[in-house]
Formats: sequence, C-alpha cells, structure tokens
Amino acid sequence: MIDVKNLTKSFGSHVVLNNISQHIYPGEKVVVIGPSGSGKSTFLRCLNLLEEPTSGTITFDGVDITDPKVDINAVRRQMGMVFQHFNLFPNMNICDNITLAPVQTGLMKKDEAVEIAHALLKRVGLDDKADAYPAQLSGGQKQRIAIVRALAMKPKLMLFDEPTSALDPEMVGEVLNVMKQLADEGMTMVVVTHEMGFAREVGSRILFIDGGQVQEENSPEEFFSHPKNPRLQDFLSKVL
Amino acid sequence: MKKLFALLLSVIMVLALAGCGGGDTNGGGTEAELPLVESGKLIMSTNAQFPPYEMVADGEGAYNGFEGIDVEIAANLAERLGLELVIDDMDFDSALVAVQQGKSDMVLAGLTYREDRDQVMDFSTSYAQGVQVVIVPDGSDITDMDALANDKMIGVQRGTTGEIYASDTPENGGYGEDHVRAYDNGALAVQAMLNGQIDAVIIDNGPAQAYVDANPGLHILDGEWVVEDYCLAVNEGNTALLEALNTELEAMIADGTVQTIIDKYITAE
Amino acid sequence: MNVDQLYETLSQIPKTDLAMWQDVFLKFYRAWFAEDRWLNYFEGLVTTIEVTIIALIIGVVLGVLVAMIRTAHDQQRPGTHNFVLGFLNGISQVYVTIIRGTPMMVQLMIWGFVIFATSRNFTLVGALGLGVNSGAYVAEIIRGGLMSLDPGQMEAGRSLGLNYIQTMRFIVIPQAFKAILPSLGNEFIVLLKDTSLISVIAGKEIVYAARAIGARTYEYMFPFVITAIMYLIMVLIFSWLQGKLERRLRRSDRR
Repeated sequence: MIDVKNLTKSFGSHVVLNNISQHIYPGEKVVVIGPSGSGKSTFLRCLNLLEEPTSGTITFDGVDITDPKVDINAVRRQMGMVFQHFNLFPNMNICDNITLAPVQTGLMKKDEAVEIAHALLKRVGLDDKADAYPAQLSGGQKQRIAIVRALAMKPKLMLFDEPTSALDPEMVGEVLNVMKQLADEGMTMVVVTHEMGFAREVGSRILFIDGGQVQEENSPEEFFSHPKNPRLQDFLSKVL
Repeated sequence: MKKLFALLLSVIMVLALAGCGGGDTNGGGTEAELPLVESGKLIMSTNAQFPPYEMVADGEGAYNGFEGIDVEIAANLAERLGLELVIDDMDFDSALVAVQQGKSDMVLAGLTYREDRDQVMDFSTSYAQGVQVVIVPDGSDITDMDALANDKMIGVQRGTTGEIYASDTPENGGYGEDHVRAYDNGALAVQAMLNGQIDAVIIDNGPAQAYVDANPGLHILDGEWVVEDYCLAVNEGNTALLEALNTELEAMIADGTVQTIIDKYITAE
Repeated sequence: MNVDQLYETLSQIPKTDLAMWQDVFLKFYRAWFAEDRWLNYFEGLVTTIEVTIIALIIGVVLGVLVAMIRTAHDQQRPGTHNFVLGFLNGISQVYVTIIRGTPMMVQLMIWGFVIFATSRNFTLVGALGLGVNSGAYVAEIIRGGLMSLDPGQMEAGRSLGLNYIQTMRFIVIPQAFKAILPSLGNEFIVLLKDTSLISVIAGKEIVYAARAIGARTYEYMFPFVITAIMYLIMVLIFSWLQGKLERRLRRSDRR
C-alpha cells in the first residue's frame, strides 16, 4: 500500500531520518516505537507529506507522492491522521469539525456527512456531543472526536502520531479501545506510540526507530520476548 | 520645522521630477492663453485661519464658505478674468506646496514677499500692507521692541515671515532659534503666553487687535515690529497667468476696489 | 430664558466682571451656538466618518491581501518556490517597509501633491492615503495573528485533504480573526483619529472645523474640547460594538 524507498529527512545539517526503506501492506497495523528524538514522528509525518522528505520516494497506491506534480490534497484525503494534541478546530462545534472536510472536498453532501458523523459519534459513544465545542470536552473525548473526524473521510489508511501521549492516564483506555476496534475492522494503521501493551496486543509488526534508522522490526511476540538490537534491549528495559 | 519643511519640499520636488506629477494641463478651448490647472477655474490655495484676510465663513458664506480680504480680492480677480473661483483651504505650508505642484493656480494667504520665496514662486504686485506687532501681557518687563532681545521666549505662527525673521541670528536682527517657539496659529501662541510659557507674541496687526480685545490683561507694544507687502503668488515661471492677474490687480488697486475691500474688514480705529 | 437670551445678557457684562461659569458659557456659546456653528462640526464629523470608513475598507482589503501573500510565501512547501508569489511578496515587503518607515503626514502630502496633484477630490485622496497607510499596519496585525496560531491547526486541515486556501478560510482565518480583533479595533481607532491629518491636503474634517471656528473667535479651547468629546463618543460607540462582536466570537470558548 505504501512503499517507502531510501527516505532521508534532514533539518539543515541535522539528519533525522537516514535512508529508511519500508513497505506497509494493506490491513497491516504497524506500530512504531523508539526513544524521543529518534525520528519516529517525522517518519510518520513524511508518509502524508506533512514533512517534505529531503530525498527518497514514497509511493502510495502506485503513485509517487513526493513528485511535486502530484495533487497532495487528493492523496491526503485517503490517509487519516490523528495528532498528539488532537488539533480539533476550536472555532467549530463537533459536528462541523467532522463534516467540514468531507463536504468541502466534495466527497459528500452536507446531510450525508452529518448522518455519517452521527453514526461514527455513536460508535465512539459521543453522539450527545455533536453540538458541543472542543473546549467543553475532556482530552479523551477530544481524541476520540479527532479519530472520528479522520474516519469521516473514509480513508484507506490511518496514521496515529502518539495519540495518547497528551492524555491524563485515566483517559488513555477509552482512546485505545476505539483504536483497537478500528484495528479489528481491518483498517490499515501506522501508529507511533509509547503504549507497549497496545503495541503487543494490536500490532501486526513493530518497528524500532533510533538514530533515524529502523534498528529492528519484528512481529510483536518476537519483538518483545527476543529483542536482538542492544539499543532496543536497553530501551525496553527502561519502558517495560 | 522650517528645515523639515524644506526637506519635505525637496523630496516632493524630486518625486515630481521623477515623473509622477501631473500638473499644468492646458485648458484648451477659449481660455487656452491662460495656463490654468483646470480650464475655466481659478483655483486659489489658502489657509483660511488668518482673519481678516481669510477665514471660514459662518453659515454659507459669500464665496463657497469662505470670506476675508484675500477671498474677496480673489473673487474679483476671477470675475474680471471670466473664471470661476475655487478655494482650497489647507495648512499654510501646504498652500505653498499646492501652487508649486500645480495643484492650484495661485496662493493668497496673507503671503509676504520674500526673496527666497521668490526663487520658487512668482509674486504679484503688492495689494496690501501687513503690519506685524508684538503682544505682551500687562505688567511685562518688555516695554519696547528692543527688550525682546533680552533672552525672552517669543511665540510666532509657524511658517510665517514672523517666524523666519525672529528666528534669525541676532546679527541679522533676529533673536536666535532658541528664543522662538512656533505655533500652528496665532491663538495657540496667545494661549501659551497667557499660560506663561512664552513672554511675547509676534503677530499681524489685525488678529493682534482681536486677541487683545478677547483676552483682558494683554496689550500691543507701541510701534510696528515689521511692515511687509502682501502679494499673491503663482508657480515659478507661470508668467502668462501672473501677467493677467497683475493687470487686473493693478486695475483694482487703481480704481479703489482693493481699498474698499480692506476697509470693509479692517475698520479704522 | 433660553440660551440666546442668556448670551445677550451676559455679553453686555464687561469681561473682567464675569463669573467663571458665565465666561465659560460665553465661550461655549460662541464655539457652538453662535451663527449655527454646530453645523460646521457635524459637517466635519460626516467627512471624518466617511474618510474613516473608506480608509478602513481599503486598509482591510490591502491588509488581508498583503498578509495572505506574505504568509502564503512563508508557508510554501520547502524546496518549492513560486516565482509569482515571490514577486508579490517582494512588493508587499517594500510596501510595508515604506509605509511604516515614513510619517503619515509626509505620505499624505505625497498623495495629495505628487501622485494626485491634479485631483480635486481631497476627501477621497485623503481616505486613499490613510487607507494605504492603514493597510500596512493591518497586514502586520493579520500576519501576526496567522503566524501565532498553532501550526497544528493548519496541519490538521491539510491532513484531511483540504487545500491551503480552504484551510485558511475555514480554520486559520476565523481563529486568527478572533485573536487579532482587539489589535484591529485599536488600529481602527488610530485610523479614526488620524483622519485629522487630511487637512494638510485640504480635507475638511472635524478638527479642521474646530480650527476654523477657533480662528474666527480667537478662542480654540472650546472648539477643541467639543471635537475631543465627539471623538470620544465615536470611540465609545465603536468599542461597545467591538465588545459585542468579541463576545459573540467567544461562544466557542465556553466550558
């Protein structure tokens, strides 16, 4: 589904991603972990070109999206993204937050979008908040809305950038539950997270990024029980 | 202020030379012989805050909301030339710039002839004499003109000859820039003197009389500080217009029209 | 006894014998009632409001345009360089620099005596000069508002597939507008009061009316106080409207 070839990203002279090549298959749930500053968020943000790669190519459904001639907006419509800090639009109520993009991009009519918004809100248990504003919600509720907002575009792939890192501990569960549910429905997901439990339970493949490179990748069982890379061993000993 | 103004003027001149400026559009048609800004119109720039020469009229006023000696003289000139008088009222400095920039045909603003002004504008025959006098508070130790030189602070109206003469160096008969404070108009200078900020005000005779009448505790020093010729001015080199205006103006002086107008506004004591 | 009769009575008394209030009344009468002079203030007031509104519209349009150009230029995808945008950005920068770096009065004189040397529509030229001046400040206020917004908002909009303009229009600008409203209001008030400068190019607004009356009566205090009160009332009305608007925009902030 996504083919990453020789991806390098540097800010000035500081190299953040160093020649990463990866392939993400449909239905996969790739979990990316690594110490802070390792480049894992940058990797994720390169996938929908929120960060422009310095070199290398990213191919999505056979289209090289690093080509400046590609309509990046059309590509992004097929990739949902969930941010650490939710980034809901505070000037709109929840329903408008969700329906804005589907309506404005011409994906669907307003009433259809509203219908879908309500259906999705019901699934995450927040149908009663449709008319509320983001400022009136808790962090966990905001993040669930952010997921719904991304899903309303009917994406083929969901990118999660540390979706639970900014949450109070008691709210992490409600967000992870929504993500698990999504995973169970067969959504292709790339998740950057520090939630090792989630990685073990939901991930189909785990990547360990450190120093701008994928140091190790494996199935969850192997990854956690037999880590080979010494830096991964060190990292796991600290977080587990 | 003077220097700033000179600088500003030169900036504007440079810009005008650079080609932005419009300017002398020849009227064409019947009045083609007179180079006017707009054909059929005699545009006068002035600063209508100088009674009795020019002021904003109460109510409608005789000449588009203005009245005064200069206004009536201009109206007469326009009539004699078969033109419509248009009055543009702006700051005194601006009124001079306007005529030099071809925005107005002439400036009448109680304007005194001066050699340096003659370099940038062309002056007409004098139509009136301006007398500048000195106002001081009652009981002031300034009892004659000579006492002004004794480290006094003197108020003048900005951009006027009063300011130019007074701020000149003592060798040239002035008091030095440090002893002169310029105000936007005479009334503000008088107000400053009433407040004790300055010791004397140099101002034209006409307004001086009015200020002294309006404010108890002030009087005019005996004698004339300076006597000057009031002229109208056109843009430098606009000889055709100046000659036409001069002819009519001299005729008006000769037949007593000008004196009648002056007497109407300045009643003899 | 009406004011005219009172004036007649009091003006008979020698100046030195007047009580304080009587003196004040006489001066006020001359500055306001005499010869229907109050009409002059209102004529000036109409011009002031007219110039302010025209200048405001020019200022906001120019300001939005310049701010959009400069922000769009700064937010281009790294590596890409749109030549047209770069050119417009250059012009915008020169414009903002010149306008902010030169005095308002000099700008007005250049508008009045160089660029529109032959125009007789002084009010409109004045409004144009003020509007172009205001535009530079409005542009910087708006740019500041756009830049200060959490970049995550732009990213969220773009990640949903909205294009740059859609994201600006629906997400960034509405939020930035709320944030810059106090500064914009301030700029508007400055503009309102700067209209008094158009008298240098023969504009006839409210301060001009006050000075003309002062020149006739040789008494400037009261015309200026009257002018000050008129400005104050205008600013109070405007601040009240601005407060209402701000409260409406804050709806989404309630918890």
